[in-house]
Amino acid sequence: MKSVRKFDARPKLDGSWKFIDDYTYDGILHGQLLYSTCHHGYIKKINFPENYDLSEFTMVSPKDIPGENIVPEPVCDQPFMVDKEVMHYGQVIMGIAHPNRKLLLKFIKETKIEYEELPAIIDIKDCLDNEDNHFGKEIKIDHSIKKEPKVDWKYNHNIYYTPHQEQAYLEPQGVISVYNPRANTMFVRITAQCPFFVKHGVEAIMGKAVDEVIIETSEGIGGAFGGKEDFPSLFAGVSSLLSYKSGKPVKIILERSDDIQITTKRHPARVELETWTDPLTKKIKRCRIDYRLDAGAYQTLSPVVLARGALHSIGGYSIPDTLIRGRLFRSNTPSNGAFRGFGAPQAFAAMEAHIDRISADLKIDPYEFRKINLFRVGDEFPTTQKVVEENLSDCLERVIHNSDYHKKVIEFAEWNRTHKDKKGIGISVGYHGGGYTGNGEKVLNSEVKVIIDKDAQVKIFVANTDMGQGAHTTLAQMFFEAISHPREKCWVQLPNTSKTPNSGPTVASRTIYIIGNLLRKLALQIKEELGFENLEEYVKTHLQEFPREFHKNLTPDPSVIFDGDTNVGIAYKDYSWAACVNEIYFNANTYKIELKKSWNVMDVGKVVNEKIAMGQAEGGILQGLAYGLTEFFYKPGFGRAHGFTDYTLPTTLDLPEMDIEFIHTDSKIPKGLGEVPMDFPAPSIRNAFHNATGIFINEYPLIPESLLKAMEKDK
Amino acid sequence: MILKLNINNKFYNTNIESDESLLVVLRHLGFKSVKKGCDTGTCGVCSVLIDGKPRLSCQFLAARAQGHKITTVEGLGKKADAIIDAIVNEGADQCGYCGPSLVLTTYAMKKELKDPTVNKIKHYLAGNLCRCSGYEGQLRGIKKYMGVK
Ligand code: FES
Ligand code: FES
Repeated sequence: MKSVRKFDARPKLDGSWKFIDDYTYDGILHGQLLYSTCHHGYIKKINFPENYDLSEFTMVSPKDIPGENIVPEPVCDQPFMVDKEVMHYGQVIMGIAHPNRKLLLKFIKETKIEYEELPAIIDIKDCLDNEDNHFGKEIKIDHSIKKEPKVDWKYNHNIYYTPHQEQAYLEPQGVISVYNPRANTMFVRITAQCPFFVKHGVEAIMGKAVDEVIIETSEGIGGAFGGKEDFPSLFAGVSSLLSYKSGKPVKIILERSDDIQITTKRHPARVELETWTDPLTKKIKRCRIDYRLDAGAYQTLSPVVLARGALHSIGGYSIPDTLIRGRLFRSNTPSNGAFRGFGAPQAFAAMEAHIDRISADLKIDPYEFRKINLFRVGDEFPTTQKVVEENLSDCLERVIHNSDYHKKVIEFAEWNRTHKDKKGIGISVGYHGGGYTGNGEKVLNSEVKVIIDKDAQVKIFVANTDMGQGAHTTLAQMFFEAISHPREKCWVQLPNTSKTPNSGPTVASRTIYIIGNLLRKLALQIKEELGFENLEEYVKTHLQEFPREFHKNLTPDPSVIFDGDTNVGIAYKDYSWAACVNEIYFNANTYKIELKKSWNVMDVGKVVNEKIAMGQAEGGILQGLAYGLTEFFYKPGFGRAHGFTDYTLPTTLDLPEMDIEFIHTDSKIPKGLGEVPMDFPAPSIRNAFHNATGIFINEYPLIPESLLKAMEKDK
Repeated sequence: MILKLNINNKFYNTNIESDESLLVVLRHLGFKSVKKGCDTGTCGVCSVLIDGKPRLSCQFLAARAQGHKITTVEGLGKKADAIIDAIVNEGADQCGYCGPSLVLTTYAMKKELKDPTVNKIKHYLAGNLCRCSGYEGQLRGIKKYMGVK
């Protein structure tokens, strides 16, 4: 567990690292998206403002598309630009470019669109409470027993809601498309997580009009968190069309307010839980879950989020009789998409609150209740996958110990008796399956490439991007540590689809877990094949053999068998486990929850780079806590957020004291780390609020007005 | 309008429109360390020093900057090293988009806070958003740099 310094640390801090808006090309045009301000309807007329020379503008609409007006996503249902019907606010209608960005922004602002408006679903509950809004394929995970529950079992039934969450990468979405008419190629530089997704997007819109599409990322990707996974395909499609039509390079950098309003968010969810618990043994015997996501107007990649969410919806509990339904619901809002956690935070938000509700009804401490019901070796997930380790219990025990939970429960109860303000402590647990779900990694068939040069420099070619998570440092580290090669002789190259093989997207906590392991194996394979002890010595004595290229594809684990239709089998080979205890102070005058301290224990397997791993954990946990506590994107009567003025992010002043520990680090494999920190911490704030006040809240975020409403209802 | 700006102790003459923000002008002149994150004064990544004090360049009319000393991280040169090391040693840099502005603000804070405490540091940096790091690592490094336990 070493902490190799990040190779890009210094240039990022001294300002020399290049982000997308720092690149420029001769004759470049600035592009922007003209998008719908109507939620649902037909476009009657577009009125461009007068006093502009329209011949100076390049405009593209569906009629300019030489290929197809459909973004190639897992479900191909979203057009690049509105074809007939506007399905949501923020839907792209046209791409427009001009040499002068300021003038272009003014022109777009003054452009007025007339609509014939149709009824629209905007509100999260209107969308998710109405069965008629269900669309797409339903997921069923059936581990049920065809037997009626016993009459003396305690029945609990609750519905939990979670809101949108904005990824809020600080660098807005940006792209530059450069059409080369002589070579008939389209080069796209972009701040994106998955260069090959973008390539497929641009190929779809351009069709046969260009011979080759090449995607290269910018040097810096200023944060992504899932938000630069799917939207960039649409975005790059439009910029490429503009470049093709104008014959000039076109750069589109979204304004923050546009970025927030039109790009993907975390799916709002409604999770309905029914459980039956034996009051004597305190074991949950039966569970029925109805897991619903608001997909927005199109399905796009939501079915994948739905699958992961439904698969995690049982929480960390072994319940013999379980039936899970997962469904997507349609609203007239921009498609929701990937965000760190990918359906799991919504699942744990519900189950972890529910566990505390049952504990309260059975008058048992939530920790004791969890202990009785947590996964044990030999138990089964609802997919029939066997539980093979009790590391989740280990996380729980450790966090209870670290936080001095038992002592605080007594102390706070005592304190609360005599104070109007309240202190509370709450628990939550969670986990995240590493890599693509089920057979996904088999289908991806990821490939990595390495070139060893004459000076023993190792160049690593992978499609996985470094968006701040330190992936390129850690990937290189896994390679050079495996063969004891000097660190300064091993570099990951900037992802470029014409040079890097497709090692799959930078998603699903798979970069280190899947691609890092693949690189480590390739390093050992090269060592064995060439028979060296020291690569530098070997290269010196075999100069004529270099530069030399090596490739390796992922050999899927034959034990991972999953039936995607019945959801039976091994959904994920390895899980990262985590548990959290949060301590809060509730101010009875301001109705504000102050997060005092957050204890977190995680098992992410082997920790390759301790400092990078800790940074991932710290950043993810704060995002997770803010999800539960402060961040809201949509409110009835308020509408959707427009920028960082109304979508407020945590600052240094919102930071609780934080305690993070990794356990089971002696494991051989590094498991997924990117997402689990986001999954598990938020529910424990809600549970702490219940511990403090005796009031349960079924919705995030726990902002003062929600608390006030809940407390008044309780009176 | 023609403007004469003192940026990092060098004078630049530039022809701008009167409503142009300092952010736009600095980036146009090639000071790419100055980032744009929101343009509404809410994220802090556009911070520069004006006469040594951190200011949001997206909210500062370029015309107002005439006659003042503007410092970007490019202008700190070696003086930034200790801050950069402090942050990097904690592995606190992630995507880096907030990095240059954090370095600049920390530099100004060191000069300004006579008697720094954790609380004062947190208040000073409250306008510098970071979505990646959760601030923990940044603060560990910066506390060391500021000599605060
Ligand atoms: S760009 Fe100036 S504060 Fe965000
Ligand atoms: S490191 Fe990404 S915003 Fe701070």
